[in-house]
Amino acid sequence: MTDCRFTRAASLGEAVDCLQQAGGEAHLLAGGIALGILMNEKLLEPSWLIDLSRLEDLKGIRLNPDGSLRIGAMTTHREIERSAEIAGAYPMLIEMAREIACGRIKNRGTIGGNICLADPQGDPPVAMIALRATLRAVGPSGPRDIAATAFFTDLYTTALTKDELLHEIQVPAQADHTGAAFGKFSARRAMDYSSTVSAAVRLVRDAVSGRISDIGIGIGGAGLIPIWAQATEAALRDNRPDGDALAAMREALMEEIEPIGDDLYSADYKRHVASVILRRTLERAYARAAAVGGADKP
Amino acid sequence: MTIEISLQVNGVSHKFAVSPTETLVDLLRRRLGLTGTNKDCGMGICGACTVMLDGLPVSSCILLASQADGAAVTTIEAIERDGRLSPVQEAFLRHGASQCGYCTPGFIITASALLAENPHPSRDEIVEALKGNLCRCTGYKRIVEAVESVARQGGPT
Ligand SMILES: Cc1cc2nc3c(=O)[nH]c(=O)nc-3n(C[C@H](O)[C@H](O)[C@H](O)COP(=O)(O)OP(=O)(O)OC[C@H]3O[C@@H](n4cnc5c(N)ncnc54)[C@H](O)[C@@H]3O)c2cc1C
Ligand code: FES
Ligand code: FES
Repeated sequence: MTDCRFTRAASLGEAVDCLQQAGGEAHLLAGGIALGILMNEKLLEPSWLIDLSRLEDLKGIRLNPDGSLRIGAMTTHREIERSAEIAGAYPMLIEMAREIACGRIKNRGTIGGNICLADPQGDPPVAMIALRATLRAVGPSGPRDIAATAFFTDLYTTALTKDELLHEIQVPAQADHTGAAFGKFSARRAMDYSSTVSAAVRLVRDAVSGRISDIGIGIGGAGLIPIWAQATEAALRDNRPDGDALAAMREALMEEIEPIGDDLYSADYKRHVASVILRRTLERAYARAAAVGGADKP
Repeated sequence: MTIEISLQVNGVSHKFAVSPTETLVDLLRRRLGLTGTNKDCGMGICGACTVMLDGLPVSSCILLASQADGAAVTTIEAIERDGRLSPVQEAFLRHGASQCGYCTPGFIITASALLAENPHPSRDEIVEALKGNLCRCTGYKRIVEAVESVARQGGPT
């Protein structure tokens, strides 16, 4: 066993200094869930662990007066699921958190660790793509904002450089007539984290015409990374979600996803499931947009 | 490198020097001899290693001992009180909710944490709370019934 260094960072600056000194050889410890598995499976023998648990800067949920939302990277899935502020303004994120594993995992797992792990099955990444969130990183030269749509670059790889860490997630205020929903298909309702397919949809419905004037779609479990379904968004934009638009949506989606077959489901089956889950989630988001209207939004 | 940590286990304060990669389940079993907490998958999936960390169920197989520094850990050994089984343990016996028993400590910890927070959960809430614990013997029905029987005791359903 190699010797491992351990630093419990007392400030963001200290964490970044350690990352810089380590030159890519350190691992940030958030909930420790993914790192714990990798160590138990002997896939990782860390040489330096940097514990983020004492960084108050990385914690907490704040709904700003302008309706935007700030979630610190060290916020647990449990804290998100139970946040009254999020429930009021971003119910899709509550739906998303409910889909994650089970209580034991939600009590420790953090949204920052989840997003930085960049697992293609992960739920928060696709929700943040649909919501057009900004991920604020901190590095030696200060903060840097990265769009969630540009954050996931390859399998388990993000746009963060090796001396940056994720500080917080910023979700923009939602326009009037916005509806959003999260949908997930899994073989078993809990603890399925390998064969799932998920869809996150946020849309703005024109109150007069009923057309979708703005839309964000993230698809999980359908490729090497959490997918920003740009062409699928384009197929739905300026349309009502009915016959022709849904057919165009399906066609665009098939071009954008590249699911990987596994022990349970073939790649083809996952393709089919992705289009069904997306349609259902879209319909839920659309119905919600009709129900919220504009006047009763904050 | 070793790290000095202090933690409370079942009400008793301890200090340990741990390696940065030592897991809580190994510390509990090997150093304290608290072998009631089982280790099975080592991947957060099965729930056999569930303990309470400051009252919340967690998987001790993927929790580093260093992460428990300053916290209070409760294991299955502390669920009975004054040598008497807790109501949840009694109910598991009465309902035949344990067969080989390997999963049982994890279920009892998870159910006890649920009931501490919500003394009268509905059946759906019980199933939701237990959904991450795996049992290969009982088929779950008797486990849910056992917890339901405790949830009904002394109050509305
Ligand atoms: C059985 C099981 C089922 C699961 N099911 C689901 C599910 O259904 N849906 C889902 O979305 N997730 C699921 N997960 C994942 C889980 O929710 C965790 O979020 C995830 O494992 C990582 O979170 P963590 O906080 O423990 O991160 P850690 O393990 O601490 O870190 C993960 C990675 O991110 C890096 N990192 C952590 N924080 C930062 C930061 N601030 N800046 C930069 N890098 C950072 C670490 O260095 C590491 O590489 C499951 C996990 C398990 C074990
Ligand atoms: S042994 Fe920890 S969850 Fe299975
Ligand atoms: S009683 Fe045997 S695994 Fe549950």
